[in-house]
Amino acid sequence: MVTKKEKRIGEKSPVLYFILPAIILVAVILIFPLLFALGISFFNWDLIDESARGFIGFSNFVNIFKDKSFWNALFLQLGFIFIAIPIETVIGFFVAMLLNREFKGVKVIRSLLLLPVFVLPVLSGLTWRLMLQPEYGAISFLLTKIGVSQTTWLAKPTTAYAAVIIQDIWRMWPFMFMFLYSGLINIPPSLIEAADLDGAGFWDKVFKIILPLLKPTFTTAILLRLIDALRIFSEVFVMTEGGPGNATTLLSLYIYKQAFRYFNIGYASAMGIILTIISLTIAIFLVRKNMMMESA
Amino acid sequence: MKRKKIKKAIIIIVSILILIVELFPILIIVLNGFKRDIDIWSGNPFSFKPTLQSYKKIFQRSDVWLGLKNSILVGLISTIISLIVGAMASYAIARFDFKYRETVAYSFLVSRMIPQISLAIPLFMMFRFINLIDTLPALIFAHMSFNIPYVVWVLLPFFSDVPKEYEEAALVDGCDKKKIFWKIFLPLVAPGVVVAGVFTFMMSWNEFLYALVLTSSQAKTAPVVINGFMGQYAPLWGQLAAAGTIMLIPNFVITLLFQRYLIEGMSGGIKG
Repeated sequence: MVTKKEKRIGEKSPVLYFILPAIILVAVILIFPLLFALGISFFNWDLIDESARGFIGFSNFVNIFKDKSFWNALFLQLGFIFIAIPIETVIGFFVAMLLNREFKGVKVIRSLLLLPVFVLPVLSGLTWRLMLQPEYGAISFLLTKIGVSQTTWLAKPTTAYAAVIIQDIWRMWPFMFMFLYSGLINIPPSLIEAADLDGAGFWDKVFKIILPLLKPTFTTAILLRLIDALRIFSEVFVMTEGGPGNATTLLSLYIYKQAFRYFNIGYASAMGIILTIISLTIAIFLVRKNMMMESA
Repeated sequence: MKRKKIKKAIIIIVSILILIVELFPILIIVLNGFKRDIDIWSGNPFSFKPTLQSYKKIFQRSDVWLGLKNSILVGLISTIISLIVGAMASYAIARFDFKYRETVAYSFLVSRMIPQISLAIPLFMMFRFINLIDTLPALIFAHMSFNIPYVVWVLLPFFSDVPKEYEEAALVDGCDKKKIFWKIFLPLVAPGVVVAGVFTFMMSWNEFLYALVLTSSQAKTAPVVINGFMGQYAPLWGQLAAAGTIMLIPNFVITLLFQRYLIEGMSGGIKG
């Protein structure tokens, strides 16, 4: 009996010793706050006016579904995701194809292309804001040279929204490139050569050999981008602050405004919970896929 | 043969054009740091006389120093704690068989994907309640919420790759599991720890939303200070660019030095 008990302690205690610190910290700074947010989302909770606080059940969630600004933010968010990510993927793929060959300087080009991914989001947003200034912004300057008339790009709803998306495409297609290139170099050249011998054209090779083989890489890279694009905040916040009007108020920006401009903490928390559920659903897809690959 | 040469020339030209477009905004940041504000305000971005005025100005500003100091402190401390705690957890997950092992592992992975704004609100309420708003500990804790799960997952493959023989030999020598971790495993996965540490620090260095919500003056980090240069009236583009250039240096050094590990670093343990 004694030996058995000793053995059990001996087996279990090191696991706890190693894993408990991380679990405790994550519980305090991640799980508890989330539960707290969930709790608050059932309250009318004004940050300043304490008299206006009280339990209101599911009212926040009901109100979200009636809130036109929320639907607008969701619509802009989905538009952002469905425009930016496919373009990033396509550019990333074709540049990976283009640079998957040897010529002088190609290594330097491949490394330097990755730099935008690592520009601080805040700095990227501010730089695009500068470049798009009428009169003195670098992009405005170049555009006038080719005959595009001066305009306040960030003060008009459509061009501001486009600018936010272009900023993201500029920064993040190299991220796609990085993943897809690393997938491409793992395709055995013999497969491509065999196709060449069969007289396959470029598009045949792309659709019949390369894309099927790269499917797992595509899925991982796109899901990673999706999770990031869903919570984008800093770049847009410093570039447009969500304006003009609500034209670039994506989900995270709308939640931020509700919480820290209008002090509707309960309402903002409820939206935060919804956003978290969407993100975690995608995350679980990603994890499932990862698990399947591991067992395969 | 001639056609092949032309094709090659076109490929090289297109590649260089793409590179120019991608580096253009970065070039603008760096150049603007060496311009007088008056040159930035004048249309042509390429005609100016280089000067160090903006750099001189930012180094005379106490808020820039404070922001850089806070950014470095928050980055370093949260990285070090996350590395220690995360490496221990990662080791347990990779090397021990226990109940709920997979659940614990995947909970760490999934938790990294929670949108920051959803956490920023309750963290703000919590830290306000215990009077930690505008302090470095609040930011350090907030950063650990994404850094710890990240470290756990980046290190998993490194721990899994250590051959069993090392462990067995150490057990025979009479080391207990704790000693084995600190004395044998940690040195063996040192490259992984460096990779995880470097990318963790960079995530903290880039972070903006928590700093925006949780600080007001004393604990501001550099990204918030930079954003402050936009000002109420006229943006201080020159100083903004100078400070921005300084903040880009660690990121670019990391990118170029850790080329081989970028994918591991960016995907945080998720396989491609």
